[in-house]
Amino acid sequence: MQRILEHPILGPLPEEEKVTIYVDGEPVEARKGEMIAATLMATGKPYFRKTVKRHEPRSIFCGIGRCTDCVMTVNGIPNVRTCVTAVEDGMVIETQMGFGDWGGNDSK
Amino acid sequence: MMERDIVVIGSGPAGLCAAIEAAEAGAKVLLVDENAKPGGQLFKQIHKFFGSREHSAGVRGIDIGTLLLKKAEDLNIEVWLNTEACGIFDQDKVWVVRDKSKSMTIHAKRIILATGANENVVNFPGWTLPGVMGAGAAQTMINIHRVLPGKKILMIGSGNVGVIVSYQLLQAGAEVKAVVEAAPQLGGYGVHTAKVRRAGVPFYTGHTVLEARGTDHVESAVIVQLDASWKPIAGTEFELDVDTICIAAGLTPAVELAFGAGCRSVNSPVLGGLVPWHDQRMCTSIPSIYIAGDVSGVEEASTAMEEGRMAGLSAADSLGYLEESRYKARFEAINHNLLALRSGMFGQKRRDAKEAIMAASKG
Amino acid sequence: MTDDKDMFICRCEEVTLREIEQAIDEGFVTVTDIKRVTRAGMGLCQGRTCTKTIARIISQRTGKPLDEVLPKSYRSPVRPQKMQAVENEEFNDAKNS
Repeated sequence: MQRILEHPILGPLPEEEKVTIYVDGEPVEARKGEMIAATLMATGKPYFRKTVKRHEPRSIFCGIGRCTDCVMTVNGIPNVRTCVTAVEDGMVIETQMGFGDWGGNDSK
Repeated sequence: MMERDIVVIGSGPAGLCAAIEAAEAGAKVLLVDENAKPGGQLFKQIHKFFGSREHSAGVRGIDIGTLLLKKAEDLNIEVWLNTEACGIFDQDKVWVVRDKSKSMTIHAKRIILATGANENVVNFPGWTLPGVMGAGAAQTMINIHRVLPGKKILMIGSGNVGVIVSYQLLQAGAEVKAVVEAAPQLGGYGVHTAKVRRAGVPFYTGHTVLEARGTDHVESAVIVQLDASWKPIAGTEFELDVDTICIAAGLTPAVELAFGAGCRSVNSPVLGGLVPWHDQRMCTSIPSIYIAGDVSGVEEASTAMEEGRMAGLSAADSLGYLEESRYKARFEAINHNLLALRSGMFGQKRRDAKEAIMAASKG
Repeated sequence: MTDDKDMFICRCEEVTLREIEQAIDEGFVTVTDIKRVTRAGMGLCQGRTCTKTIARIISQRTGKPLDEVLPKSYRSPVRPQKMQAVENEEFNDAKNS
């Protein structure tokens, strides 16, 4: 789980503006425009959510926004597919437990 | 209601080529894609394609993608990204939602479906652990996002995707601990298989993953040998220290829009399962709906491009945009290319499968 | 293929192989029926990940060919949408015209 700084075909990782996102309360540096899932994989987050029934850990599976295993709660909204959603400065990202919490609505 | 001659759904190689061909014929084309960026899977293919010079042999998928986008731009083709096609009504109305917030319906005289295919899965205890992912997911991570999904990889499947992605993982700096293949023989192109072998990666044919182990993430995988009836042989298990397990088990055509619209299906096991019936012009059982690329049967990017050209050409022709001699010449040229791509050891099987689809009754 | 019955076939709704096999044995022998009875395929991914696997399990357990088991039609919207997006004048006009 790390960024590929040098690549034999793609060349060096281009310079990119940095943004700060908050993951479970902790500030994390991200590259502007990068997918949330990529940032989290680069910074070694082992799992993104826990499931409803068995509370089991999940992370990316299809990587292209189809399987929905990578969803997390972003800026208070649950079920956001992190592999197809770009980071924004100040974004608040939380490991989602089960269905997540729709901003105070009782949906557990 | 907005009107267009042709709406192309999907901007991968098939969709891009369909839009370009139709626009070159003079049709008014709208190209939509649910993703934020066009190109489908093309921009992940950092390897050089095979085929003749006409098929861009020796050119990397990423460079072909760039060329196609430039062509689409030069032709002023209208492209809507972040636009999900949600359904097709009355055979000529496409319902889309843009940016997850703006719903609209487009009246399209012709519709070209180029929606691609989804990766298959292999199930084993522990397959839901973080670290188990599609080979395509790993490829997306390394070639698009430039992030390693893990350091010690196990690849399930030795077909083209399995060996190509294994090689790309090596290029990205990961260690590929092994490639396991359930069948008794390897399944992918020799060129890529050889590259992976030369890098020292062991291949285990007649083997599969029995279990993925770990608490919050993959920590190891148990491999087991299979007998002639594909059952695990007790006592042959061994454990590999891996943090990532990639599944390369083939693709299934993304047929929701086609079947939702009422297109008849044909079962094509060789090309991924149920596909919409279509003819040589890439027209489905519904005269206003055409298809191209993996959704019509899983092959490769180069066949997707040619099928896209055929669908775009035929759709434009059906609207009267081409004179007969020009249509015939292009039709023959595209067919010639498709035949060439479907020849040889690997290609013949796909050619037979495509012919079987077209020969099947419409349903 | 391993047959650990407690592993999930439907990742989204956490439906196990055991539950699916039980449903098949009770007479639910299409992917759509299995969906209605077990919820497999009703989750966020709407069956994209598990449909083919369930079809294969049904086919192997009952002998029915795959194309008799797989869904032949899909209802729109084929991508989940918010109600807000659909409450849109243009769409309503289009449906009424």
